Amino acid sequence: MTEPYAAPLDSLTRLRGIRGAMVVAAQDGLVVAESLMGGVKGTALAAMAANLAARVTELSVRAAVGGPRFVHLQAQDGSLLVAPAAEDLLLVAVAGRDVPLGLIRLEMLRLAERLA
Amino acid sequence: MRAIEPWVLAPLRAFVEDSSARLALLMTTSGQVVAQHGFTGALDLMAAAALGTGIIASSGELALQMDWTPFRTVAHQGQRQSHFLGWFDTPHGRWVALVVFGGETKLGLVQVYFDQLVIELLAAAPPEPVQKQEVLAADFERELNASLRALFGR
Amino acid sequence: MTEDIRALSAQYAADPSSLVFLRLGEALRQRGQLEPALKIALAGLNRYPHLPDAHDLYARILADRRDYASAFDEWDTALRLAPHHLGAHKGIGFLYYRAGEPEHALYHLRVAAELDPGDEGLRAAVERVAGGREIWDVPLPVAPPTRDAETRVAPAPAAGDPFTGVEGAGQRLLLVDRDGLRLGGALAARGGRDVSEEAAASLAGVVQEAARAARLLELGEWDHLTIEGTELSACLLCPTADTSLLATMDPGNPAGQLAFYAERGAKEARAWLERAR
Repeated sequence: MTEPYAAPLDSLTRLRGIRGAMVVAAQDGLVVAESLMGGVKGTALAAMAANLAARVTELSVRAAVGGPRFVHLQAQDGSLLVAPAAEDLLLVAVAGRDVPLGLIRLEMLRLAERLA
Repeated sequence: MRAIEPWVLAPLRAFVEDSSARLALLMTTSGQVVAQHGFTGALDLMAAAALGTGIIASSGELALQMDWTPFRTVAHQGQRQSHFLGWFDTPHGRWVALVVFGGETKLGLVQVYFDQLVIELLAAAPPEPVQKQEVLAADFERELNASLRALFGR
Repeated sequence: MTEDIRALSAQYAADPSSLVFLRLGEALRQRGQLEPALKIALAGLNRYPHLPDAHDLYARILADRRDYASAFDEWDTALRLAPHHLGAHKGIGFLYYRAGEPEHALYHLRVAAELDPGDEGLRAAVERVAGGREIWDVPLPVAPPTRDAETRVAPAPAAGDPFTGVEGAGQRLLLVDRDGLRLGGALAARGGRDVSEEAAASLAGVVQEAARAARLLELGEWDHLTIEGTELSACLLCPTADTSLLATMDPGNPAGQLAFYAERGAKEARAWLERAR
């Protein structure tokens, strides 16, 4: 794993229910660093998160919501969580069902700030 | 969208739709076009096929010289347009894909759907031809012209 | 207090798996040392994710940090784990009061007062939220007020709008078809500028991307998408297969409330679409 991101990603993946976490280049949707459980497709996660973040940013501007600080896609079997960090990076996590979302959100916001 | 091999059409159509690619070209390593989407001129197509296979060949050679694992994909990112090149092996030999895309999609997404395209092409490909014929320069020229006619309906 | 913290810290250091983290975290919080309190609470919560008191402690720290959205979620989790949790009822009651929803606040504060009848401060809070009306002789409802019972005094938007009568209609709820055309409702920016058409045009793309991400990541059908923006929070969901709805709120409001609000909007939209068809 890319050294500066190892510790933040490890601290995130230690939280209950996190299946994987990664730092993604927002511009091209490629993996910068990752810490994933088996079965999580890293390239797909990075690409999907970056594309979703780009669409959400466009919507946020048009709907006057302001720059997105945190995005949470809730699905039947889990969640995709994205926290934009500076320098064109996204902190991304995928979580299972029934997870402490408040806790995960807070940790992601804290880590995204540190990545900035 | 046009294809020399009709079984290529469905996977390529899905790829173009999912990845939001502007142009897509499938060809053999010798530059023979197998299928294309978005190209409007035969000259553009021929140039793209020749240059695309050239880039794949030279990056493969670079890896060989440096004793690296050969690059499976190469991407050049521009301000307004980018392109992605990738090779994969089929029962009909090694094929190369050239994808041109813009800001409406991302390299990561093109990569993800390229992997999917390869899986779908391999699943759809008819069995390996019984006899492989050596490609002669004249045959190559003839095949290339035939494929261009098929691809542009002329 | 310093000695307390020192003693509790020593106990915690000697046995980090003990429940002393609850007392230490609370002591730190009361001293205003929110960062160390947060660390202690998070460590405890990681160790005891199903302990209601751990969620309660974490929620109190979050509320002190003015992260009301997360605090609401944590108290909500505590109540799911322990429906009679005193601290969680007090906390949620406080947040509802702060969000201008007195009926919900009153329900939770009255439950809390029943759980701790000796707490004079709590009784005073109930009476304050009740706004001077007689409250103690009125039987406590068995469940919180339903969202449908919410205020109907909001300004009514144009006739035929799906959200007529819903709080915030005309500025915080927008219904869009699959082509990005506005069906009803409206969105306003903070300064009041109408941004409905612009938002509508982008909604279909986000819906498409959300569905694709959920499918490719094998997360099952997507349910909703929340965006915490610097100006507003937004929740996007699909009331029907061919429509999408965007609800917005001030970012200080709890995330759970936003989801409730969006769901209520979706219910109204479904009913309106049914009538229209």
